[in-house]
Amino acid sequence: MSGMSETTITYKQRIKSLQSLIALVVLCILLSVLTDKFFTTDNGLNILRQTAVNICVATGMTLVVLTAGIDLSVGSVLALCGAIAAGLLKNGWVFPSADLYIGFTIFGVLLAAIIAGGVLGWFNGFVITKFKVPPFVATLAMLTIARGLTMLYTKGQPISNLGAKFAFIGAGSFLGIPVPVWIALLVVLLAAFITKQTRLGRYIYAIGGNETAAKFSGINIPKVVIMVYALAGMMAAVGGIIVTSRLDSAQPNAGVSYELDAIAAVVIGGTSLSGGRGTVWGTVMGAIIIGVLNNGLVLLNVSPFWQQVVKGGVILLAVIIDKIGNKND
Amino acid sequence: MKKLLKYGIGIVLLGAALYNSVYIKKLSSIRSASAKLDVNNYVDQLWKDRLPAKLDSAVDVSILKNALETGGSKAFDQYTNALAIGNYRYVLVKGTAIVDSVHEDDLLITIQSAQPFNATLQTEFVYGNTLRDASRLVDLAAFPNTSDLNSISEAMNERVRSQIASEWRPLLKPGVRFEFTGAIELNKEHLHFDTIEIIPVRIKISPDAGR
Repeated sequence: MSGMSETTITYKQRIKSLQSLIALVVLCILLSVLTDKFFTTDNGLNILRQTAVNICVATGMTLVVLTAGIDLSVGSVLALCGAIAAGLLKNGWVFPSADLYIGFTIFGVLLAAIIAGGVLGWFNGFVITKFKVPPFVATLAMLTIARGLTMLYTKGQPISNLGAKFAFIGAGSFLGIPVPVWIALLVVLLAAFITKQTRLGRYIYAIGGNETAAKFSGINIPKVVIMVYALAGMMAAVGGIIVTSRLDSAQPNAGVSYELDAIAAVVIGGTSLSGGRGTVWGTVMGAIIIGVLNNGLVLLNVSPFWQQVVKGGVILLAVIIDKIGNKND
Repeated sequence: MKKLLKYGIGIVLLGAALYNSVYIKKLSSIRSASAKLDVNNYVDQLWKDRLPAKLDSAVDVSILKNALETGGSKAFDQYTNALAIGNYRYVLVKGTAIVDSVHEDDLLITIQSAQPFNATLQTEFVYGNTLRDASRLVDLAAFPNTSDLNSISEAMNERVRSQIASEWRPLLKPGVRFEFTGAIELNKEHLHFDTIEIIPVRIKISPDAGR
């Protein structure tokens, strides 16, 4: 009898761990039946290309949410880092008094943007751990600060014409797969490696699961939290590079409300907002579900207003399922 | 010793990253290269000195059509100019055509070839960067700002409207046969040769004008 009960629990757990994948498959089947334009290679690649940015941002958000935190600043950080990349590539650094011009290579601007994202994320983590400011408030402040810095840096104007080499990052393809998809895959593999194979990953789950217990077991919580927010900032920066490259232009208002899409992907992917439970791959599924949903609703000619209602409904449903799951556990 | 090795490797990696990230130039040399552009003078020189040779070497539009329809991506790379990663391609073409009908802003023409096809000759709405980019005469990377590049396009387009189109348009009546050289924009993914719009740069009315 007890064996049967254990089997039932394992079966339930397996179903639960695969719930995002099952939802995605059901959604794809449904859309394939409703429109013949959906299930094509071109459309599949198109969805993946469009989803790549959200995957990068949401992967960083997953690490933050696993520690029971939240990062509302990722959209603004994405915009600022994209602007930094474009600005450095286009204008370099000028030192008139020394008659000096420092230009940046593509590699240089990528490095600079990712470092900038890391610094902004580090600052989020520092404020949260040092001054005990709730993550929601600290990152909300950073959302405004980073957006303001973006406006200052770009003077409110797009920075355009960044060249074919830079455009390849966002619009090119490698082995028939869009480059942004390869980049997103690298980001996900890195995050999956961190969460599953490293001490930092175990600490992230431990802090999110029970911060007090983690503290008493000797984990340096401030250090881990700061690292997690820095990683989230860096991943948002990668998203910023892709967006800027794809548009061949850094837009000062890029990334507005991207944090909501990222949080939605995390939640739909089964990561608990209370922390300690969830996976990076779940988030990938969540991001793809949102991408497929967006794409499918457009193909079905659903009004943009209804699209928002449907997306909101799906997020709500995912949270309710998560809550019910928690209760049963 | 282990720590020293660790820091040593770190410094080497940092140095390599920095070396590959930046390049240093004299600011004065950059500024002299990007001094305020005299667009009219620039386009004057380009129009008189460099454009004629490009027009002479323009590809025959019928040959281009066949090549693109059968050769795919390779033919696009061979004949057309791409600015960035995208589907739009620009090319200078030449050919012989007969005027079908004259409209307020353009002319509908039939291009003479083994398999004649229709096209539009733009005479009024000459906008965008098609001519600039089809000519391959302007190195986009050499200009520090977009407004200079746009000004060059605008000045080139204005010359087409005020010099080419206004001069030849009264003579291009239905049935007139003429030779043309001009710029076209093509979409690599959605190639529709039957709807091409030619921006004329050189027009020569055939001695035996008429069908």
